[in-house]
Amino acid sequence: MKSKRRSLFIVLFLVFPMIHLIIFSYVPIIGNFVLSLTNWRGFGDINFIGLRNYEKMFTNTEYIKMFKNCGWYFLVSIPQLIFALLLAVVINGKFRGLNVFKGILIIPYLLNGVIISTIFIIFFNNTGSLNTILGWLGLDSLQHQWLQDLNLVNPSIASISIWRYYGMNFIMFFGALQTIPTELYEAATLDGCSKWQEIRYISLPFIKKVLFINILLSVSGSIQVFEIPYIMMNGSNGTGTPVIMIQQSMSTNKVGFAAALSVMVFVIVLIVVGLQRLLVKED
Amino acid sequence: MSNETKLYKTVRYIFLICASIFVFVPLVPLIFMAFKTGAEYSATSVLEPPKNWLNMYNFSYAMRVGHLGKAFLYTAVILTISLAIQVTFTAMVAYILHRFDFMGKTVVKVMFTLTMFIPVVATQTLIFRMMYAVGLINTMWSVIILYSGVGIVGIYVMLNQLDSISREIDEAAMIDGAGYFYTFAKIIFPLMKPACTTMIIINGIGLYNDFYIPNLYLNRDVQTFTVALYKFYGSMSTPFEIVAAAIIIGMIPIMIVFIFLQKYIYNGLAGSVKM
Repeated sequence: MKSKRRSLFIVLFLVFPMIHLIIFSYVPIIGNFVLSLTNWRGFGDINFIGLRNYEKMFTNTEYIKMFKNCGWYFLVSIPQLIFALLLAVVINGKFRGLNVFKGILIIPYLLNGVIISTIFIIFFNNTGSLNTILGWLGLDSLQHQWLQDLNLVNPSIASISIWRYYGMNFIMFFGALQTIPTELYEAATLDGCSKWQEIRYISLPFIKKVLFINILLSVSGSIQVFEIPYIMMNGSNGTGTPVIMIQQSMSTNKVGFAAALSVMVFVIVLIVVGLQRLLVKED
Repeated sequence: MSNETKLYKTVRYIFLICASIFVFVPLVPLIFMAFKTGAEYSATSVLEPPKNWLNMYNFSYAMRVGHLGKAFLYTAVILTISLAIQVTFTAMVAYILHRFDFMGKTVVKVMFTLTMFIPVVATQTLIFRMMYAVGLINTMWSVIILYSGVGIVGIYVMLNQLDSISREIDEAAMIDGAGYFYTFAKIIFPLMKPACTTMIIINGIGLYNDFYIPNLYLNRDVQTFTVALYKFYGSMSTPFEIVAAAIIIGMIPIMIVFIFLQKYIYNGLAGSVKM
């Protein structure tokens, strides 16, 4: 009797979250693989067309460029991670104004994509803050039409990610540093370690794993870039990304092609996250 | 006792001040702009402060025209319902995984863990069709249903919490004749409050700022604040100084959260790293 009630309890507690999981995660992913082989328009008959959707994706230069654009987002994550790491290292301590700085530095992390896009339209506009500041500094030759110049638009809007996401990396690094026992620092100080040696030999080795996780988060984030180029540019001027293309294919009823793009994004994320689990476990 | 030299302390302050300037430089023109009149905006540099800091016209105009009040209300309702479901379900799943052994437990665990591999953006093709088929497009229920899933990070936060709640408490309750459900609902769940708070804050910020899902599913009358802001911004007829004011309004709730709950944001996010 008791074991029956126990089983009922377990089933009852798991059933709704599991159904949700299956319907909204597993069915769509498996469905995508099937749909990506069709030219379904979201209604009517489903015709299988083999790998033609993938063929289109890999032969059309426009689509290839979208995947290449993701490269810019990954590239800017390098200075972003270095900046976040430096911040976490210097802020890890006790000093006057610590909480004020912690507060200020987290602000960008709290803002949504629409707010950030507006802020940076003002920043990159022809009469915007960046060109104004360059003018003040007498660097008029460096003034550009950041959002119109086809060579500059992608690096410009990709660099917004630094401002937007460094906070998340910073908090993760900071959290990892907080787990270091204070005795370790005290012992190092007693042994006459300089601050630099302390950072080099205690703090940095401790964050190695978190650093690695952050690098992989950047890769999987880069392939899923959507908000900033979509809101700021609507994907125009060659700023399209795979996810913007998914969105546009869906709204023009090219469900089969949207599914093929989704499969690509999924496979890339799968490889990256899989790599992370594998390497972190080996540690 | 400290090994921080004067040089290190100076370098630290210089670096942190530079970082703060880096945060504020893009923000300042937006704040200036929200207080400028239309004519002033077109005539002055973006980095020039407004003449009248008490000019509230843009704010009242934004509230009136952008239907921001209604959007705020919808956002609040959507967040409250989704977070309540999310937190309850996550606590339930974590409780079962932590306290019970049963057939298929590994399968359940793996299934929740594997969702990490599944980017939300790669699943919407089919989900959109499902929502369309059941007529939930343009209703807040589509968004609430999608937001109500149990995530693996939440499960880990809850499992950590359960580690610190002694099993003897469960056993004592059972001996006293309490059923499984009563033990969870009346005794264990209240003890999990810190983990729930962490989850509500971290996921709350995420959902409040989410753009992809509400933009996809909500279009006409029902909008979250983020989408309302986007519609506002997307229509070229809206003067930019009004958009700036709308954005400042949108930043207020998040800033309130941030001032009062900063500690939880830091601890919560840092905690989710430990998994």
